[in-house]
Amino acid sequence: MSDIADTHGGQVHHPGAATYLIIAAFLVVLTAMEITVFYVHALRPVLVPVLIVLAAAKFALVAMFYMHLKYDGWLLTGVFVFPLMMAGILLLALILLFAYLSNHMAPIG
Amino acid sequence: MAAQPKPLPVHQPSYLEGGGIVGWLTTIDHKRVAVMYLASALFFMAFGGLEAMAIRVQLWHPDNHALSAATYNAFFTMHGTTMIFLVVMPLLLGFLGNFLIPLQIGARDVAFPRLNALSFWLALVAGILLHLGWIRGGLPDAGWFGYANLTERYFTPGLAIDWWVVGLLVSGTSTVLTGLNFLTTIIAMRAPGMTYMRMPMFIWSLLVTSILILIAFPALTIGLIFLLFDRFFDTHFYVASAGATPILWQHLFWLFGHPEVYIMALPAFGIISEVIPTFSRKPLFGYPMMAYSICLIAFLSYGVWGHHMFATGMGPVADSAFAITSMLIAIPTGVKVFSWIATVWGGSLRMTTAFYFALGMILEFTIGGLSGIMHASAPIDLQQTDSYFVVAHFHYVLFGGAMFAILSAFYYWWPKITGRMLGERIGKWHFWLTVVGFNVTFFPMHIVGMWGMPRRTYTYGADMGWTHLNQLETVGAFILGIAFLLFYINIFKSLIGGERAPADPWDGRSLEWSTPSPPPAYNFATIPQIRGRDAWWILKYGRAGSRGVAAYMSGQTPTLSQAAQPVDVEHIHMPAPSIFPLVMSLGVGTMGLGLIIDWYRIVIIGAVVVVLSIIGMGFEYADFGQESHDPEHAPSSGGIDVRKIGIWSFIGSECVFFASLISTFIVYKSRSVTGPGPEILNIPLTSFSTFILLMSSLLMVLALAATQRGDKRWERIWLGGTVLFGLIFLCGQVYEFTSFMHEGMGLTTNLFSQSFFVLVGFHGAHVAIGVLWLSVLLVAAMTGNLGKSRALSVELAGLYWHFVDVVWIIIFTLVYLMQAVPGA
Amino acid sequence: MSGRGINRYSIASITMRVAIALTFAGCSSTDRPMTTVSPKSDLANWIQSLYIDVTVWDAIILAIVVTAFILAVFVFSSRVGEAAPAATASSDLGLEIVWTLGPALVLLMISVPTIRTIFRSQPAVAPAGALEIKVVAHQWWWEFDYPDGAKASNELHIPVNRPIRLLLESPDVIHSFWVPQLGGKRDVVPGQINELTFVATVPGMYPGQCAEFCGLSHANMRFRTFVDSPDDFAKWDREQLAGPVATPATDQLASDGAKVFADSPCTTCHMIQGVSKGYIGPDLTHFGGRTTLAAGVLQNTPANVAKWIENPQEIKPGANMPPLLLPGPKLNALVAYLESLK
Repeated sequence: MSDIADTHGGQVHHPGAATYLIIAAFLVVLTAMEITVFYVHALRPVLVPVLIVLAAAKFALVAMFYMHLKYDGWLLTGVFVFPLMMAGILLLALILLFAYLSNHMAPIG
Repeated sequence: MAAQPKPLPVHQPSYLEGGGIVGWLTTIDHKRVAVMYLASALFFMAFGGLEAMAIRVQLWHPDNHALSAATYNAFFTMHGTTMIFLVVMPLLLGFLGNFLIPLQIGARDVAFPRLNALSFWLALVAGILLHLGWIRGGLPDAGWFGYANLTERYFTPGLAIDWWVVGLLVSGTSTVLTGLNFLTTIIAMRAPGMTYMRMPMFIWSLLVTSILILIAFPALTIGLIFLLFDRFFDTHFYVASAGATPILWQHLFWLFGHPEVYIMALPAFGIISEVIPTFSRKPLFGYPMMAYSICLIAFLSYGVWGHHMFATGMGPVADSAFAITSMLIAIPTGVKVFSWIATVWGGSLRMTTAFYFALGMILEFTIGGLSGIMHASAPIDLQQTDSYFVVAHFHYVLFGGAMFAILSAFYYWWPKITGRMLGERIGKWHFWLTVVGFNVTFFPMHIVGMWGMPRRTYTYGADMGWTHLNQLETVGAFILGIAFLLFYINIFKSLIGGERAPADPWDGRSLEWSTPSPPPAYNFATIPQIRGRDAWWILKYGRAGSRGVAAYMSGQTPTLSQAAQPVDVEHIHMPAPSIFPLVMSLGVGTMGLGLIIDWYRIVIIGAVVVVLSIIGMGFEYADFGQESHDPEHAPSSGGIDVRKIGIWSFIGSECVFFASLISTFIVYKSRSVTGPGPEILNIPLTSFSTFILLMSSLLMVLALAATQRGDKRWERIWLGGTVLFGLIFLCGQVYEFTSFMHEGMGLTTNLFSQSFFVLVGFHGAHVAIGVLWLSVLLVAAMTGNLGKSRALSVELAGLYWHFVDVVWIIIFTLVYLMQAVPGA
Repeated sequence: MSGRGINRYSIASITMRVAIALTFAGCSSTDRPMTTVSPKSDLANWIQSLYIDVTVWDAIILAIVVTAFILAVFVFSSRVGEAAPAATASSDLGLEIVWTLGPALVLLMISVPTIRTIFRSQPAVAPAGALEIKVVAHQWWWEFDYPDGAKASNELHIPVNRPIRLLLESPDVIHSFWVPQLGGKRDVVPGQINELTFVATVPGMYPGQCAEFCGLSHANMRFRTFVDSPDDFAKWDREQLAGPVATPATDQLASDGAKVFADSPCTTCHMIQGVSKGYIGPDLTHFGGRTTLAAGVLQNTPANVAKWIENPQEIKPGANMPPLLLPGPKLNALVAYLESLK
């Protein structure tokens, strides 16, 4: 187990300021794209998928680079991604279930 | 195999010795915490049991008036709530989990001992809150799953449901903290050589249970928060006339509630998987499949909650989907049952009481599992749900499964915990009376259920033909009562003069049997090196197994601490005791009490106590953190600090918390009856806020980078910048909220406004906590107390901060940018 | 594995059916009027055959487990101290595959008819010629509104062999509609209209009860369903539409009772067509024609009606009806009047 003691507390793999700035630039650009999509009427039909892809990209960039999942190994990724996946299932399932239910709900008002 | 047995290097005082009352109140020793969980669970079990007896007395004959309707309703509600939240879970996790995790994985304590003590005191406070209805306002009386909208203040005006909501919120918080602690402990603190596939099966079950806790409880928390808002702040999350639906509660509740069944069942499976190999003198059959089946059960358990709701009208597609997922769970569960039997097969059996209960569990639980398959078939379930058939089913699972396992665990581990044996003779009586009483009580419930007797009815008509079986059940309940009386007597007799227990009374297989009974505070004088599954068995007998047995039987029984090199146990560093977990829990309890009796000064006092305790604990933690850089502290974490695993687990749990809030928002946003809708949301303002929050994340990583390279100047600048940007974001949110108020949209205006304010408000609260946390770091940086050695502190705060940021990324998209997209 | 194909299971099936029959011998529907295993409608029949399917499979699995258990504990093992050394086999791939795939196959057998029944029992649209009845579940009584304007309380009348479509609504909390002999339950959820579709096949009286805990008097929220022959149903329906039977002038007591009723606070909550317009409590227009009162809790006898009026809280705790403090003679007159409302 001595090899582990060597890497203990070792944050040496984390990227430097340059990477962080590039990621920040990406984030700003993606956000700008999101807002553009929102305001351009021609894009309304593809609004939902495009926004979801853009948000997922931002989410992934922050998680991988700012939260260091790309560097910290599979363990922490697992601890985060599994609940995240379950949360996604929950969100999707509830939306589908209520979409059905709303057909059977008494009219609003 | 270790060297020759040697005399003890020094006297090893057991964890039970010393400290006095104050020692117990301030303890953070996992074993003492476990014993306190045990005491509180046994206390509440008496309540829950007596409530059950009273229920059976009332049902002795038709149209009985032994109990009033109100008392009966309160008793079945409290029986369920007590047994689940205050007895079975605390016994399995708080008591057995706490005691055994460090001992079985070869660690000295759990990852976060203070947090562990906090979990216990919060659990106790929750138990007390749930029972304060005896004194004021009446006991909760809407069933343990408290279906909305019966729980709305209009239908249940008193304080009873208030106690229930607040009590369960506190209890849930305690459980989540336990889950986080256990998960981190098991991931990070296993002794060297204990790979995942070498862990005792009980540890596997707790590892998976902890994950389930983290992803299941947030749904309950959200459900309860909505209910709390409805009852105290006049929102309408479950009120149909406002466009909402009480079905939302059921989804959130069962999203928690079904995994909860496995939170209680999996540790029970784990116990059985420990007891059976020991008394069969054989390794557990099919270890890898047993481990995988636990994982599979847990995964599936998150997708079956709808089978509690077949009668609510989810539609044929959803019914079919939930029916199939529910049936699938039977496959890994079957694997477990067959593997246990295969373990017994060919064994050399030692028929102890612990083994009796374990064998009993296999059969009783199988019956519960098989009736479960019936409920999975939605059409059959429509006849059985909410009838006594279901009552029979879940008692076979929770009593026949979980409780039998717990009793088995008592007889098995009691010698290790107390240093004394439980009486075997009285134990056998206890077992047979339990088996008879249990089956006489609960088996006839299948039949009365089939004859149409609905559950939760305080009375029934004489013309229904249910009388005789109900009387039989009541007789059974009294036999069960006597059985439990014997159990309490056995415990009592053992404590005052039971036979002294040797270190390894059962010829055990896992590491806890290598320690003295009861173990010393530090568990292991030297952390053992693990060479395979059944770690202690291998240390005793070597891999060859039976060859070593002879030597063992000849009376040469080394304990591991003896076998290892003599060590100076005085130098084992254990974390110092702390009073703050207790004080903080009292503060939380005071807040709950003040909220319920509507006396806000008391809430403020409680809040102040909580804040002061957090600060106090922070100082203690800072001291401890300095000393914990001891390579032995986290031998299996792969170099990752336990605190980092802890915060990631917390973040994982928060994912489900926010997913529940976001789905509610999406479901409700276009169902308002009156008032404004999502079009009111201000995109330019929130685009700016989004930009600010993203940039604050950038500043945060720059601050971390500065700290890591020891650059104190930039550390301060970047941290200050992060705090500043966080504050700007909060100001934007305050501005946004006030402008909505001015436009006439308050919290209770309509369904959209309440879902919006609660979702975005909770996110804002997270930002505010992050700003406070970063401010503390900033102060530390200013006063020169941060720096390279404390880089981890900055990293932890950073992880939390970035998470708050990614949640905002989602909210900005789903709530703001998709405002024109209709809800579900 | 069709829902009707029980016979295909041959010997096992027959044995099990006999066993089940023996186990529940004496559970005729007259002794156990809420029994779930004496189906009187198509829906209840489908559930029953599925239930027998699963019970057979469960029994087979239980038999295997118990046999294996007995063999393991009592035959193929030794006791500590005995000569036989402990075996050490700790896995067997073949066995493990068998006990994974075996149950999986059984579940496949169960899931196919399950899904068939789910879809068959929840038709998206009402079957042709269906009688649609609105069921309103109140804390703690039942209201039944027929499409022709007939109204009933706590006693539902339906024609035999005609598709029935119940539309379930609740103005207060969640309830659940359940007549075990006619099929499974369906929750009554505020803000949502649930449906229950079935064809009753055997005339008779089938008691039902609210099956979702709905507050203090949940246990007292019972009702009766009468499956009538088409003629009986038509007759009943005509009577309901016709308004109350006029109190015969010769019946002095009942006529006095009519005055007591008209002057009493009863009128605020109860409707008697042509007399009062209350709508909070059950419609009493045909009260005398019902077999029970207080949502199926008491037989409709003059003594019980008097007892109920004197103190409803004692019979149904939490009910909205206050005790009516009437002197004896007036009470008797009121009871006579109510009982005359056939």
